[in-house]
Amino acid sequence: MRIALVGFGVVGKALVELLDAQRDVLLARHGLNPKIIAVMDSRGAAVSEHGLSSGELLACKNAHATVGAMPAHGQLGAPSERLIRDVGCDVLVETSPSDLRRPDIAIAHLRAAMSAGMHVVTVNKAPLAVAMPALLELARYNRVGFRFSGTVGAGTPVLALASRCAQGNRVRAVRAIINGTTNFILSRMTETGEQFDDALAEAVRLGYAETDPSNDIDGVDTAMKLTILANHIMGRRATIADVNRQGIRGLARQRLDDARARNCVIKLIGRIDDSGMSVAPEEVPLNSPLNVGGSLNAVALDCAVGGEVVIIGRGAGGPETATAILRDLIDIWQLDFDHHPAKAHP
Amino acid sequence: MKIVMKFGGTSMSGANNIRHAASLALAHAKDHAVVCVVSAMDGVTEQLLDLGQSAAAGNRASVLGVLSRIRTEHEAAANTLGCLPLIDTTLRKLETLVEGISAIGELTPRSKDAVVAYGERLSTILMGAAMSCPAMDGYEAGIVTTDHFTSADPLMELSVFQVRSRLGPLVAPGKPVVVAGFIAGNQHGVTTTLGRGGSDYTATILGAALQADEIWIWSDVDGMMTADPRVVGAARLMSHITFGEAVEMGKFGAKSMHPRALEPASESGIPVRMRNTFKPDNPGTLIASAETVERATRASAPSSQTISQRPARPVLAVPALKNMSFITVGGATMIGRTGTAAAIFDALAAARVNVHMICQSVSESGISIAVSAAHTDEARSALERAIIGVLGERTARAIDVQRAVTIVACVGAGMRGSPGVAARVFTAIARDSINVLAIAQGSSELSIALAVLDKDGPAAVRSLHAEFNLAE
Repeated sequence: MRIALVGFGVVGKALVELLDAQRDVLLARHGLNPKIIAVMDSRGAAVSEHGLSSGELLACKNAHATVGAMPAHGQLGAPSERLIRDVGCDVLVETSPSDLRRPDIAIAHLRAAMSAGMHVVTVNKAPLAVAMPALLELARYNRVGFRFSGTVGAGTPVLALASRCAQGNRVRAVRAIINGTTNFILSRMTETGEQFDDALAEAVRLGYAETDPSNDIDGVDTAMKLTILANHIMGRRATIADVNRQGIRGLARQRLDDARARNCVIKLIGRIDDSGMSVAPEEVPLNSPLNVGGSLNAVALDCAVGGEVVIIGRGAGGPETATAILRDLIDIWQLDFDHHPAKAHP
Repeated sequence: MKIVMKFGGTSMSGANNIRHAASLALAHAKDHAVVCVVSAMDGVTEQLLDLGQSAAAGNRASVLGVLSRIRTEHEAAANTLGCLPLIDTTLRKLETLVEGISAIGELTPRSKDAVVAYGERLSTILMGAAMSCPAMDGYEAGIVTTDHFTSADPLMELSVFQVRSRLGPLVAPGKPVVVAGFIAGNQHGVTTTLGRGGSDYTATILGAALQADEIWIWSDVDGMMTADPRVVGAARLMSHITFGEAVEMGKFGAKSMHPRALEPASESGIPVRMRNTFKPDNPGTLIASAETVERATRASAPSSQTISQRPARPVLAVPALKNMSFITVGGATMIGRTGTAAAIFDALAAARVNVHMICQSVSESGISIAVSAAHTDEARSALERAIIGVLGERTARAIDVQRAVTIVACVGAGMRGSPGVAARVFTAIARDSINVLAIAQGSSELSIALAVLDKDGPAAVRSLHAEFNLAE
């Protein structure tokens, strides 16, 4: 399987390492021999027809901050959609950071790949948040696989489990804690009695908070993931513009204390129901399955038959997200093999 | 309000008509966000098709003749409207394209679209100049289609996303935009055209994407009539009609919109208003959801004499489609034999024949279909080969063709669940001693269709129009 990788940060690096570590198992169990043909970061690209070595990629990135500096295979300058079309890969894996200010860049990458007949795996949430119905349509039209299980829950296969729950049943509503950073902050405020700012500082110190915490604490990340859930498991044609959003920035200590007096905690809840989609801090009873501590994620599905199903698991981290990508790649490999058995090249 | 308004070919023919259309649009654009969708000048699309074919056939004289006609017509308008340089550049591009087609000697669907698109490209430049506002083609506005050249389907979700982000921010009250109808592009940016429904389709796609309040279709007719006024002198303009009824009317060839073009509007519930450019004070016909139509009906004054109301009428209109052929496949061998109907329709589909009406007798000894006169011979030979000929299994014995047939329809959502409509239809027809060849009613109960001979068509329409008091 020939792979083009866009984005070479924490997740991209973890993926390259994971593919190396799993090489024998993937071949033995799935007949899958992944080759990284191209890697593109924001400053350059490296391309090799015969596959790039993970060791050289990582060494170059660490030494020069871009894979574009690789001897023989590197080229400097922002990578283009043309490069994606020209490398002739089976799959594009998009791992750039989810930047809602410039979703058009990642959308252009995905479109270039799909229109060239490449399958797509993305863990970048921004293109899905603004254009998920359009991207799903484009994948269908071009008959390519499109997977994004790393966008929600990362290591915990929330989307796969949730869409299984929805099969032959109907998910009436969703309540979800799907941002680890804010859950860490709220859990810490609950447990230690700290103020918001101190809990945030601790989250930054421990590396839970992303480079800019506003995406997390203003509820943007939760809103992006909620949009993906709405499209994927409830079949809604939604975008992030449909989400009513309120974050936890500067949340008053008093609110947690008041909640505690009622045997409740405060959680940042993403909600999808008949009235629409929203993100807001809400009170959750202490004994609710949604009262998950630390940086855990929890997604509660209200099913028409059988009532509530709750999925709980870790939601973030480079290796976890890389696992999700690998899960998607195996899925696509199987799909591709089923559709074009003759074309399959292990 | 946000209004997407489309101007047809007649409104685009010549500087005077373009100026008139522009002034209509500008008058509304003062207070409303207006997108103008324009067709090619009347007749230009046909000339361009002819141009492409002549070029591919190497008919140089004809190519030069058509090119100079197109040039003269557009330059005259451009001169008046002050956009000669841009029109000239665009015409030069067309000339280069045509030279290329001549050199290769073939006209693929893709190059046909490239040529035909120039009709709307040119009229869009003229309209943009007349309105002094930005002008672009459908692809630039964001419409992306499949690769099905000459009859491309929009990738609707992608188009909605793109139109919202590209065209959306440009349109505001006082800031209208002109968009070429009919033309779009595939995902690689290669020019495609929307085929049937054309510019109306562009208007409804843009309307749905921009969540417009109304879509207006300006043309040279007042709106939709209860019957062809040349046949029934007392035919009236319909003030409101539902999407379902309009689709049914469109199928029967009434001066309506193509059902395909109505789809984006009906799916997003945006009312479509058909208006006459030359009588801009007429309200025209409003095509809308059943709820909107009901509300509008209740609101309008019952005393109005000029426009027909809808007091729970079972039948709203009597459109007719003449010059059809009726083909009957018959024979006792068909009885109880599974797959006969499939064989018939497979053969017709393979010959790309569009079927307008289907009837089967309960005895199963005959299946009749109505096709247009132009498709009659193709349909007949396809059936002969597949059903009777050596290739077939002699499923049927005979194929009988009745030419010069008119399909008359009674259309109205009100006949759903209202008993006795069919009885009234046949009583009226029988009173005038008209012979009925076949009858079809879909399970949607939006219409009852009768096949009669062309010579009986006008009489049938008149008697049904009278039976259901459509003149009042």
